[in-house]
Amino acid sequence: MKIETKAVEALLNGNHILKGIDLNINDRELVGIIGPNGSGKSTLLKCIYRVLKPTAGAVYLDHQALNSYPCKESARCIAVVAQHNYYNFDFTVRDVVLMGRAPHKRALERDNAEDYQIVAESLETVAMSAFAERSFSTLSGGEQQRVILARALAQRTPCLILDEPANHLDIKYQLQLMDLLRGLGRTVIAAIHDLNIAAMYCDRLYAIKNGIIVGQGSPKDLLTPEFIREVYDVDAQIMTDNSGCIHILFHPGTECRGNDLHNQ
Amino acid sequence: MNERKGKRFLRGSSAWLAALILLFAVLLISLLSAVTIGSTDIPVTEVYRVILYKLFGIGNAAKGNLFRAVWYLRMPRLILAAGIGMGLSVCGAVMQAVVKNPLADPYVIGISSGASLGATLSIMLGIGAAFGENAVGMMAFSGAFGVSILVVALSGAGGRASSVKLLLAGMAVSSVCGAFSNFIVYTAHDREGIRTVTYWLMGSMAGATWEKDAAVLLITILGTVFFWMQYRNLNLMLLGDESAVTLGTELHHWRQLYLLVSAAMVGFAVYAAGMIGFVGLVVPHVMRMIFGTDHKKLIPLCALSGAIFLLWADVACRVLIEGTELPIGILTSMIGAPCFICLMMRKKYGFGGRDG
Repeated sequence: MKIETKAVEALLNGNHILKGIDLNINDRELVGIIGPNGSGKSTLLKCIYRVLKPTAGAVYLDHQALNSYPCKESARCIAVVAQHNYYNFDFTVRDVVLMGRAPHKRALERDNAEDYQIVAESLETVAMSAFAERSFSTLSGGEQQRVILARALAQRTPCLILDEPANHLDIKYQLQLMDLLRGLGRTVIAAIHDLNIAAMYCDRLYAIKNGIIVGQGSPKDLLTPEFIREVYDVDAQIMTDNSGCIHILFHPGTECRGNDLHNQ
Repeated sequence: MNERKGKRFLRGSSAWLAALILLFAVLLISLLSAVTIGSTDIPVTEVYRVILYKLFGIGNAAKGNLFRAVWYLRMPRLILAAGIGMGLSVCGAVMQAVVKNPLADPYVIGISSGASLGATLSIMLGIGAAFGENAVGMMAFSGAFGVSILVVALSGAGGRASSVKLLLAGMAVSSVCGAFSNFIVYTAHDREGIRTVTYWLMGSMAGATWEKDAAVLLITILGTVFFWMQYRNLNLMLLGDESAVTLGTELHHWRQLYLLVSAAMVGFAVYAAGMIGFVGLVVPHVMRMIFGTDHKKLIPLCALSGAIFLLWADVACRVLIEGTELPIGILTSMIGAPCFICLMMRKKYGFGGRDG
């Protein structure tokens, strides 16, 4: 599924968060959105997954305006792993994942064997099968994140949006998650903080700062020391390993640079 | 290990079905056994003779005082208690989902204060006398329903209604209504009226009639079935509006609809029996503790266990102190709260806290 945004703007409490964003995401592309804190990544994603209405501009799924989709229909196209998932009540893991089937259900339709099958497969994919009967609120942050991913997978959508999916995960699961996303063969948009992870897995990156796109392209083309300095205000060095994969090495900030090392 | 296994078993669907059937049986048995208990001593065989006669036309029961006591006093009362217990528990579970807060009860959006304002107006100032002998109940119902509509409207004004706005609007409207009730009570200098208002606020099944039963049961059962069918949306509500949108449901309008349906259910309960606290808060929590949060299971379980709880509470009210009748609202809190605290200490249950 192709996802486009055209001149999307967003005002939140009088702050101009997004100032005209054009995204062009192709079918089955894994696209990373990078940028410093508060740059508008989450807001942009929220506009795409319909929690926020853009104040200007529009989002298109396969060239059709998102507004014209009923809510249920768009939930059959886009599944979301959002950043915060605190629930006040204690659901079992299975209950949570089963809710991923909601967009496929009519008002009075019951969950059937197929739904349970899909739930089981989704839990299997994120390696949480053993936790199916556990209470969601007793899980660790990383485990909860994986359950929410399983819920998104259970939606069986052609497109997946993730807002900092690797946030609570240890390195093993970060890599596993990104491998999984790449292997899905679906359109994936993910806001990613870790530039190395982004560089390793994404087909293309969009960099956002202060509500505008400051650059886009393949990780190799986009992530140069100058560009990182411009966007994040830090010094970095780019290394290329034998397999041609790029790695970003960051240097400490100016205050502690030198001093601490020399005083040892 | 065993405890975990037990918990898993309880959350499975076969256990749920078994519990449902069991509770239903208990409810029937409760109805049949509670009808033999009362302040006047009536032989058990006589009681059943009346019931058999009325229900199936078997035998012949005398049309005397005994008949009247069983068929026009005890039976409607029991059925009213069961119906109201059912309605309040279901509404409690629904309200907790709608405002996404485990502290919510059926009265949370100002229904109680609206009802008491209506009742106070009627008792102290005689407003609503046109409703006839049920004036107090009808005024209470109007107050309850009117206030909930006002709260829903207020929470929707100036942007999207959120659960927090709903709670706050409920509290604000509650205190306005409470202040007006107090103002009327304070300025009226009517001792007898004050007693009536107070007694009414404590709740009682004493006014039960078959007509009231029919009204309460009809709306309660319809409402319960409706909410049971809405289990998926109720579950989504607990995830919050944002997650619900990504799962294909805009909760905004549903929330308002659920509020109005619960307002009608609670309004009728208030109309028939005044205010009865605690049931609607505790029964849903107890059921959640045992069977989990999924509303598909929760709603019918709450309905049955709430009915059983209030039925026995009403029996206790009648027999606990000889010669007088305790207001049921006092009893539900007096018995219910300590039981609840016990459960709270024994079971690991988060009550919406994150450490559950």
